[in-house]
Amino acid sequence: MAEPAVVIDPVRDAEQARRRKRAISALRSGVIYALLAVFSFLTLFPFLWMVITSFKLPGDVFRIPPTFTPTLLFSDTPFANYAEVLFKFDFLRYAGNSLFVASIAATGQLVTCSLAGFAFARMRFPLKNLLFGLLIFTLLIPIEVTIIPEFLLMVRLGWLDTYLPLIVPSLMVGAFGTFLLTEFFKTVPASLEEAATIDGASPFAIYRHIFLPLSTPALASLFVVAFITNWNELLRPVLYISDRNLRTLPLGLTTLQGQYESSWTLLMAGSIISILPMILVYIAAQKYIIRGFMSSGIK
Amino acid sequence: MRYSKLTPYLFILPMLIGLLVFRLIPIGASFGISFTSWNVFSPPRWIGLENYRTLLQSPVFWEVARNTVVFALVFVPLVMGLGLALALLVNQKLRGSTFFRGVFFMPYITSIVAVALAWKWILSTRFGLLNNALIEWFGVWSPPSWLGDPAYALFAVAFVLAWQSAGFQMLLFLAGLQNIDESLTEAAMIDGATRSQVFRHITLPLLSPITFFVLVISLIASSQTFEVTYALTGGGPQRASTTLAFYIYQNAFVHFQMGFASALAYMLLLFVGGLTLVNFLARRRWVHYG
Repeated sequence: MAEPAVVIDPVRDAEQARRRKRAISALRSGVIYALLAVFSFLTLFPFLWMVITSFKLPGDVFRIPPTFTPTLLFSDTPFANYAEVLFKFDFLRYAGNSLFVASIAATGQLVTCSLAGFAFARMRFPLKNLLFGLLIFTLLIPIEVTIIPEFLLMVRLGWLDTYLPLIVPSLMVGAFGTFLLTEFFKTVPASLEEAATIDGASPFAIYRHIFLPLSTPALASLFVVAFITNWNELLRPVLYISDRNLRTLPLGLTTLQGQYESSWTLLMAGSIISILPMILVYIAAQKYIIRGFMSSGIK
Repeated sequence: MRYSKLTPYLFILPMLIGLLVFRLIPIGASFGISFTSWNVFSPPRWIGLENYRTLLQSPVFWEVARNTVVFALVFVPLVMGLGLALALLVNQKLRGSTFFRGVFFMPYITSIVAVALAWKWILSTRFGLLNNALIEWFGVWSPPSWLGDPAYALFAVAFVLAWQSAGFQMLLFLAGLQNIDESLTEAAMIDGATRSQVFRHITLPLLSPITFFVLVISLIASSQTFEVTYALTGGGPQRASTTLAFYIYQNAFVHFQMGFASALAYMLLLFVGGLTLVNFLARRRWVHYG
């Protein structure tokens, strides 16, 4: 009698191999999802803890062991911490200041960077490569090397306690932005430019009416990157702003921290107020932001 | 396009003024200032190499320099390792990888002051979540004061900065991974290579130009760390978490010693420049350009 075990059944074997392969790949995805979940938890947890703390009664913060109940949400004044930070500690005004500074600086950067990028990408002129190289080289210089002369210049100009030192340096040297737009403008087909030249268009008209409209995605990326960078900037506000009415959000937050060191409910509400607008912008324009930051790193 | 010789310069003029006034002239000016004694309120006095002599003989400078090196040694591998791990995870063809990419990048776009405060609260000694978790779940008898103990403060700052910026390194690595021609890895797999062999012998070498680039920018980021230190420890306890960049800020804008601070800034430039140069020289040994 033949042993049933040695019967060779290719169909069954192939089926088994396929099943094993599928099991391994399912296991692999399982492990990857588990790791993704762990890292997501580590990434998101501090934000969650910020939110929970900002909805607690001040007394509930100092409990051992800590509680995860946002106690204030179940009271009559769920937004008391936010109201206090926004109105009593003027964060509403700081948010307005941040919005103003970041919008002007980012819009200005679009103008200076796109003008320079157009010339670098589409024109030939002496010193072009040297200037472009110098611009990229300054990206490698730590801000601490240039900030002292910059500060002394601002003192001399009488710009302390104005928005100007927060806006002008960032607006005028968008090294990364110039680089990004130069690379983008290089990809625009020459035929468009030639057709417009035959029609008698000036370089500025070509820049304004052909290149700018074509580069909306790159301009959008640059705008959000510049906006976020300026919104989060701390060093310059620390150096240049002492008038409390001109504080930006990060500066207001560090000042609040200095005054109310362990008022964690207020500090966390203030933190949420400073990051929430950026997170909303991020969710709305994630594609542009990721693309923008990605190209800020790629040669 | 027809244009006069002057036209290109008109286009770059605003940027050129900015480049000169806020970058090139200051780089030169701070070199000049480093040879003076200047407290802003009275005119600068030329003292030659005195600032450099003072700082080289100052134990505080060497302590701060050591902190800067230790910070870089902790921060750079940590942020690069995290960035690469995250990039590999979100580069898998799995449902939801775009979502996870978005999650991991989020800390990078949020204000470092705000996230530093959240970490300060998590790490706080008595009421902080971390220490209470250590006590409750891991039976640690007396967990350390992460930000108040000189033995830990510098590491805590490096960790928080790595946590905040790993999403950025992830994006850069991801761009590199996506540039790798899939037919190469597939061919190796068909020839019987295991996944880890493919990773070691194909993916990593092909990724090396990006790795090199990420290394350079991580070192620069590490050397100009200011905000996270300012918000988390203020450089303390004593000087335990003061790195060179923060020490420059303190000397220039707390003590108003512009000359001394400028000399420190040039030491920082020397440090960054030196490391970058070493990087570029060592590049041939491990970076493969396909």
